[in-house]
Amino acid sequence: MTTSPAVVADATVEVNEVSKWFGQKVAVSDVSCSFGPGITGLLGPNGAGKTTLLRMICGLLRPSDGTVSIFGIDPRRDPGVYSRAALVPEEDAVYPFLTARQFVAYAADLAGAPRASVDESITLVDLQAAADRPISGFSKGMRQRAKVAAALVTTPDVLILDEPLNGTDPVQRAHLIGIFRRMADSGKTVIVSSHVLAEVERMADRVLAVVDGRLAAAGDITAIRHAMADIPYRVRIEVDEPRRMAALLLETDIVSSVTVAGVILHVETSDLGALGVRVPRIAKDVDARLTAFEPEDESLESVFRYLVRRR
Amino acid sequence: MRGVLSIVRVSLRQAVGGKRIIALGLVGLIPAIVMWLASQHLTERAAFQRFHEAPMPILFLMVLPICALVIGSGAMGDERRDGTLSFLLLRPIPRWMIVAAKFFAAWLAATGIVALSGIAASVALGARSGDYGTIGPVVISVAISTAAYVAVFMLLGHLTSRAVLIGLVYVFIWESSITFAAPALANASLFRIGLTAYASMVAVPSDFDEVLGNLAPGTWGAVAKAVGITGLAVWALASMLRRRDTVSE
Repeated sequence: MTTSPAVVADATVEVNEVSKWFGQKVAVSDVSCSFGPGITGLLGPNGAGKTTLLRMICGLLRPSDGTVSIFGIDPRRDPGVYSRAALVPEEDAVYPFLTARQFVAYAADLAGAPRASVDESITLVDLQAAADRPISGFSKGMRQRAKVAAALVTTPDVLILDEPLNGTDPVQRAHLIGIFRRMADSGKTVIVSSHVLAEVERMADRVLAVVDGRLAAAGDITAIRHAMADIPYRVRIEVDEPRRMAALLLETDIVSSVTVAGVILHVETSDLGALGVRVPRIAKDVDARLTAFEPEDESLESVFRYLVRRR
Repeated sequence: MRGVLSIVRVSLRQAVGGKRIIALGLVGLIPAIVMWLASQHLTERAAFQRFHEAPMPILFLMVLPICALVIGSGAMGDERRDGTLSFLLLRPIPRWMIVAAKFFAAWLAATGIVALSGIAASVALGARSGDYGTIGPVVISVAISTAAYVAVFMLLGHLTSRAVLIGLVYVFIWESSITFAAPALANASLFRIGLTAYASMVAVPSDFDEVLGNLAPGTWGAVAKAVGITGLAVWALASMLRRRDTVSE
């Protein structure tokens, strides 16, 4: 029996054959996946259906077809599940007339969380200095942190974040990623959507790629890349005899193309392992000095480009 | 319970925040100003008569519906517009309790403004006639009609972003024109719910019957109507929030 890479064994959030359409427009089409402890990145371009999927998971949108559950409970039927799950939405979703402290305290009150945790959450997102200022005067990044603090104050077991790093500067970004990582390390389920590939790559243990409302790929980054055996791997080779190397590489049956850019060769191959064996040998034969051999497309960026192109 | 009280507290600030309270406060001054200006040199009895000819209809046909419309439609509408509806709804609190708390806050805010307006007009009457007996009945009848208006407009505010426009059409076409032209329709008029309670507590002049339509005075009937409308609206809104999409595409 084979198990889909979109499904995890210890699932806390389950999405079964879910579709959502708005009139004639299909936003999400027949998606089945699950999420468990750790960080799962939901990756896709703007308009891919990530936010719609997250809103269905939270219960803000009703699936047109299929079912969604958190800890086995349909959130639209039992709001009690929100004592264990929290959402940081993409939109502002803050009360501008409240201070950050009042906003986080409001979230604590609504979830029945202790007031003592308000200061802890504010400190955790490093918002102490601005905690007593109205949110209306906050920058986008500060608002993001206030929303994260309001979600964390309830100590959720499932944290759903829709583009949480939007508007944050690199220092804030690193800080927030650290918080999400620590939550994941302590066994919480963290779902992060983003269209910024580097963000997901830095955060996620596992990736679900959504393209045009469908699940295009799932698994860890390397596994996704290996699953795409029908496209060539791209490798960057740095060598002091580029033209001779290029000519010899093209004579092999594992290289489909070579581009020379100064001392850099961009090589496309169908067999990364075999190329890794051949290149040092060829370099030795032509007495060339090999200084770099790096796969170019092990990043999410290339995976994502491929997925978009393939559809 | 702490969560529900917090919703009421935050919603009250939301309802009366910013320039809204100033604008509604200015509208609320109109009945008292009209009473003061229109009752100069009148006898006590004539001042009492004048109070029911001008300030009371202005209070119930203009100040009350406008305040209830702005605050009621904003109760859920502001949350939807500001994107905070998801913040509010994704909580371990039953939807009907969230809606009831929102209603209560909106009703409290609107009643506060309109009741102060009514009290000011009654005080103006008292200053002319020495009779301050209308204050209590005005406050009670305002509270009753405001409940019905706020409940209906809160539902409207959730359903459409054009709630204020639709509400104004309802108030000034239906309430102020059609139900006067066809007294048989007076039953379907929200401002008259409170006025029937008022008429049961105050010996109103005979020509006040024109404003009442064909409705019989009665406090408990009015309370029952307002409670029924409120309950229905809260139930309908909570059902919508549970069954339908709570955010748009």
